Amino acid sequence: MQKKRVLIVEDAAYMREMLAEMLEQEKESYEVVGFAVNGKEAVEKYKELKPDLVTMDLAMEVMDGIQAIREIKKDDPNALIIAITALGTPEQRNAALEAGADEYLWKPFSIKNLFEALEKLLRKSEE
Amino acid sequence: MKKSRTEGLNYKFLILFFAVSACIILAVFVGFIMNETIVYTHFFYIPILLAGIWYRKKAIYVALFLSFFYVLVTLFSPQAELSVHVFERSAIFVVVAYVIGFVSEKRAKGAEKLKETKEYLDNIIKSSADAIAVVDMEGIVRSWNKAAEDYMGYTADEVIGTSNKKFFAESEEAERIMEIVLRDGELKNYRTTVLNKDKKPVHVSMSAALLRDKNGVPVGTVRVSRDVTKEVELEEKIREERDNLNLILESMDDGVYIVSKDYEVEFMNKVLIDEFGKQVGSVCYKVFHDREEPCPRCKNTEVMKGETVRWEWHSRRMNKTYDLIETPLRNVDGSISKLTMFRDISERKRIEDELRETCEKLTELDKMKREFLNVAYHEMRSPLAPIVGYASLLERCEIPDKGRKYVSNIEQCARELEKMINRMLELARIDSRKVELILEEFSIQEAVQEVVKSVEPEAKAKKQVLSTVVPGIEIQADKQKTVAIFSNLISNAIKYTPEGGRIDIMVEDRGENIRVCVTDTGIGISEEHLPKIFERFYMVDTSLTRKSGSLGLGLSIVKEYVKLHGGIVWATSEVGKGSKFVFIMPKRQK
Repeated sequence: MQKKRVLIVEDAAYMREMLAEMLEQEKESYEVVGFAVNGKEAVEKYKELKPDLVTMDLAMEVMDGIQAIREIKKDDPNALIIAITALGTPEQRNAALEAGADEYLWKPFSIKNLFEALEKLLRKSEE
Repeated sequence: MKKSRTEGLNYKFLILFFAVSACIILAVFVGFIMNETIVYTHFFYIPILLAGIWYRKKAIYVALFLSFFYVLVTLFSPQAELSVHVFERSAIFVVVAYVIGFVSEKRAKGAEKLKETKEYLDNIIKSSADAIAVVDMEGIVRSWNKAAEDYMGYTADEVIGTSNKKFFAESEEAERIMEIVLRDGELKNYRTTVLNKDKKPVHVSMSAALLRDKNGVPVGTVRVSRDVTKEVELEEKIREERDNLNLILESMDDGVYIVSKDYEVEFMNKVLIDEFGKQVGSVCYKVFHDREEPCPRCKNTEVMKGETVRWEWHSRRMNKTYDLIETPLRNVDGSISKLTMFRDISERKRIEDELRETCEKLTELDKMKREFLNVAYHEMRSPLAPIVGYASLLERCEIPDKGRKYVSNIEQCARELEKMINRMLELARIDSRKVELILEEFSIQEAVQEVVKSVEPEAKAKKQVLSTVVPGIEIQADKQKTVAIFSNLISNAIKYTPEGGRIDIMVEDRGENIRVCVTDTGIGISEEHLPKIFERFYMVDTSLTRKSGSLGLGLSIVKEYVKLHGGIVWATSEVGKGSKFVFIMPKRQK
């Protein structure tokens, strides 16, 4: 399996770091290619880096995750995006899915939760 | 009466008839038999006179008849000649008859009238409901009618000729009345009290007039008295009632006043008199508001139409608020006055305002609290993400087994904290009505199995038996919430049941509903706590050393979720033996 290139979109530094650390654990499969701290940056970085996967936090300044998902999906319908929601409400999850997110992950999550969600997403994309 | 008049007529008529006949015989005898020319016509005056007296103007017919006969006799008599004298005499007959008839008529008419008047007056006096008495200048009763007999008890025979002094309750009254009549010539509606034969007082209203003789000298008084005892009693009763009413109005703390339709103050009670002075007769807008014309918000027009108006009035001048009730008051004469009652409610108003302000503040605070909690819950979740995440990362590191256990504990505790925050968040969302059912068809069996599977490790660890009896039916509900209901109830059962206990989960298909029982053999809940266990943050064991960590929110969520589905939940329990949680929920949402 080819290494998946991942773009991490997250406004909290320690969360960005943590996600990177987690992905580092499976470095044969995943490679972090970039970070974005808000939706606007995410859209720009996506265009620039063309990653295979995007982890997208939803609550962010400047441009929120929902909006960013929409813009990225508009630009590249094949983009694979996993929404990471902190609110944990069905409304937010639905909003993310409606905007075009392919999978979702609730905070807090363990490393196990993360890879389960990622694998689920990849399986879905291969089908 | 009629008969005698007819007889009289016959007798007068006969005499007259004979008189006329005698005159005719005389004329024939003189004219034709005696052949004399002597004047016999003087006798003709006898029947004419009689006819004039008795038959008044009809005498003229007798005169005409006799004249005609006289002319005939003279014409046919051989001796007599029809001369001017004959016609002259005839004319005199007629004139005399006319004059006698005229005078007689006048006299008769006057007498008749007098008689009629007397009868009329007698009738009036007799049939009058008012007592009529004539008293002479010495105070001696001279006349006493039927009504006087009736209500005084004395007959006319008893009192006529006696002094009138005995009739009066006050001895000077007789003289006083006489004085007034002499001075004014009359007395009108004079109220006095007389005593009847039984010495019982009778209230009368007396009118009197002075009687004078032909020369204008006073000879007595005629007195008409009406029995007004009933009216007087009624008046007294009314006065008494009014006094009572006034007493009530006087002693009221509220202001009461009455104004006429022309704004004239007719009554004001003590409270108002103390404040404004007694100003009955002045106009209300002047008295109460110091205005020159009616107040713009005056309700007089409405009240005069018969409406009762209640309104609040704030006096800027006094800085007071009044509650006014204004109601129409029908007077005896049919006119309407306005009765106004008003109460100073400034204090109440002030308290109301304060309460309203406090309430607004509280609502605002509550809103702030909700917003704060919402933010707080979310903020509390944020640090959980790295705790759980890093703990899971740490587990993969090269650490001793002991360390691995510590990390696992950290992760578990963080998960527990997450659960609590999630529940608080969910309840907050339910309170703000943000939670809605997401309906889907699902197998209740599968849902229960899902829950059982997730809690089985826990039950196994406590060596408990988990038994399920669930029919293979599909229901339409919010699956996630249904699972949460089962999960909470079963987790609780496991938590509060000692090792080796038993938990029975039974779902019954009851047509439109399902009935679910979760029965355990746990420690049970005392009667004291039982009604409150579904309340928020209610904890049976509040000691810090309690074994089971929970915020008492699980059952609140169960209750809210069942309620959202239109169902009910309750519990029964026996301390030491176990508890039974039951809920009934429709199989299908309408």
